Amino acid sequence: MQFNFGKWFGTRAISVIVAVLFCLLLDKVMQGPDKSYYRFLMSLAGIYVTLAVSLNLINGITGQFSIGHAAFYQIGAYTGAVLAANKFSHLAATKPLLWLFLAALFGAIAAGLAGLIVGLPSLRLKGDYLAVVTLGIGEIVTIIAKNQKSLGEAYGLSTAKIESVFLISLLAIVCIAVCRNLLKSAHGLAFLAVREDEVASAAMGVNLTRVKVTAFVLGSAFAGAAGALYAHTKAFVSPPDFSMDVSFLILTMVVLGGTGSITGTTIAAVVLFLIPEKMRDLPYVQMGTPLGVAIGIIVAVVLLRKIQESFHGSASERLGRNLGSVGIGIVVAFVMAKVLVMVPAFQSMINGALFRMPVLAVTLVVLMLLRPQGIFGHHEFSWSWVQKLLGKKSPETEVAA
Amino acid sequence: MLDLVSLNVAGLDFTTLPQQLVNGFLLGAIYALVALGYTMVYGVLKLINFAHGEVFMLGSYGAMFASWMMGFGPGGSAVAGSWVTLLLMLLMAMLVSGSAGFVIERFAYRPIRNHPRIASLITAIGLSLLLQYGGQAFLLEGKKQAITSKVNPFSDDFVFTPKKADAALVAQAAALQPEVDAAQKAFDARLPFEKSKFELSPEGDRLNKALAEITAKRDSLQNQATTSAVTIRLPKGKLIMLTTTILLMIGLWYLVMKTRMGRAMRAVSVDFNASSLMGINLNTVISFTFILGSVLAGAGAMMYSTFQSAPIDPFSGTAPGVKAFVAAVLGGIGNIPGAVVGAILMGVAENLVTWAGYSSYRDAIAFVILIAVLLFKPGGLLGSNKVEKV
Repeated sequence: MQFNFGKWFGTRAISVIVAVLFCLLLDKVMQGPDKSYYRFLMSLAGIYVTLAVSLNLINGITGQFSIGHAAFYQIGAYTGAVLAANKFSHLAATKPLLWLFLAALFGAIAAGLAGLIVGLPSLRLKGDYLAVVTLGIGEIVTIIAKNQKSLGEAYGLSTAKIESVFLISLLAIVCIAVCRNLLKSAHGLAFLAVREDEVASAAMGVNLTRVKVTAFVLGSAFAGAAGALYAHTKAFVSPPDFSMDVSFLILTMVVLGGTGSITGTTIAAVVLFLIPEKMRDLPYVQMGTPLGVAIGIIVAVVLLRKIQESFHGSASERLGRNLGSVGIGIVVAFVMAKVLVMVPAFQSMINGALFRMPVLAVTLVVLMLLRPQGIFGHHEFSWSWVQKLLGKKSPETEVAA
Repeated sequence: MLDLVSLNVAGLDFTTLPQQLVNGFLLGAIYALVALGYTMVYGVLKLINFAHGEVFMLGSYGAMFASWMMGFGPGGSAVAGSWVTLLLMLLMAMLVSGSAGFVIERFAYRPIRNHPRIASLITAIGLSLLLQYGGQAFLLEGKKQAITSKVNPFSDDFVFTPKKADAALVAQAAALQPEVDAAQKAFDARLPFEKSKFELSPEGDRLNKALAEITAKRDSLQNQATTSAVTIRLPKGKLIMLTTTILLMIGLWYLVMKTRMGRAMRAVSVDFNASSLMGINLNTVISFTFILGSVLAGAGAMMYSTFQSAPIDPFSGTAPGVKAFVAAVLGGIGNIPGAVVGAILMGVAENLVTWAGYSSYRDAIAFVILIAVLLFKPGGLLGSNKVEKV
């Protein structure tokens, strides 16, 4: 087939225009003083999508297990905050949008450089060791921020408040587009090859160090840009915003969505950001209730695992049994919660907001027990899939990444 | 004998160095108990058990509840502990940790043993979060607790003085004592004629100043005398702690090197599949390894919270857990003597950083050392660098 430059350029130009228009529309919808809470949620969701998709590039696509992503997020955020407070305070006041763009750029550069410095030596390490080093980097960055006077120590730094849903959603879309396009290119295939088998891909001529470092630096740079935008959205950065828990939250998003699947990661990022956010408002409950729910979850998981292990019927029968187990779990949870609350020992009140993190943790463990490849596995959203779902015959079968 | 007093580099006080080294060694001994659990589990399963720090945390709760049961709780009636108290606390901590380790392995790690390694690593992280934040919700509302120092009957110190205080200074300070006494007497005699201690007449003021001057002079001499000495204080409780640790390690050595189960453990760590073909029951060996590692962590937890007076809350296992893990990697993960060496280095390094005046960076030093070691010797200090063969 002949290469048609006009068509090639046309589709890309249209995609870019559609993306920008979409971001502008989002920005417009979110304007207004009465929508400040939703604007904040939207901004953070966009930031988490960027973080999760960029970690997915490192963890899911290249297969390098990094659990210190918050370090690069933090480097970007502090870069943005420090520059806005010192060198660029004039620009931040007069041309906020331009500065925000520059801040994201500076954040990306700083985090990318940090990624390069960390990545070059440590990516020689395999699997678990890399995980440990990245964990350590995360801790070191937090400890430095906690102890440096110029970085506000444990209290934190305040900076100019510049909210822009436009730039945040654009960053998220750019991050997704870069990852998706990378996967369709020869470079991306090298990334996937490294994930599947390092030794084999090295034997086929893939430069392991280069691929790993590229992925790491790219992922870190996106996290840094997200960090700079976060600093200005919240107008304040402090060390607890970038603790190990944040790294784990981002990791949970990647794993839940399906390591390697950009679609899955994006959806999981939005869902997993919103659930804990909404759980802040949970009322006080009696201690028996969460215990009952926990028992229900255990029952459901045990049943689902039994089905997974020993049931070999048709797909629809299997689905029926799975749904049945979930139903039994819900009933058990309900009954146990009611029964346990009658026991005096379980009647003391507990703040429901305390269950934000346990819910995340339970999600991780249950997911690993039932579906270790994540909800989407390695699958991606594609138009042909939608057409198939709508009952049409697909013109081409896309290869799932 | 090295003259530590005359050494003065970058304003560091070298007379306190020996004490800090001893403290570091004692802390390292506890880290070693925890590090052994990481390293043994890694040896047989090639899994970093991130939940090990939480097993440690549960162990310290076990020790605390044991002390509460014996009347050392809030509003408890017990006055002083004894050998038996400490022993019961130790056993309880080991029991709680051991059961926690067993349950975690049986119900979380075993079902996914055949999945990719990343799945078990994520499960480990999930369990760690679950135990921390679940503890925050259910364990005494997650409030900070501590084991009362009353349980420890061995609170006095052995004092070693490798370098005695400067005799001339001590003599000078002692010689000033009569003058101090005289000034005090004169002032006390004057006091009834004054309105109060704080509103003095000129005469009273003169006497007061004279007393302050001579006292300051004596204190300064005494201070000089103390800093010229090098003393090492060794609390008896910590000595017991060290002895217990050494006994546990000898027990572990015997278990691993001399028993059938130990041989099975070593076989599994050399080759997982082949050992299964040779008739070793993998499930039993892995369960046993988890219980063994967790029991050691429990012992470490009891001693950490009793003799080092560390506070207990659902997150109190994270810091020692991470440090012990770093120690295990430092010594070469999977290598049992390596874990001990790494842990002691870690404890000493941590105390040296505090000694040098950077105590807020004491948690960072673990990672700095770790990264440095991994970059230059990825297998750890005592580990071997394996090349992957296809």
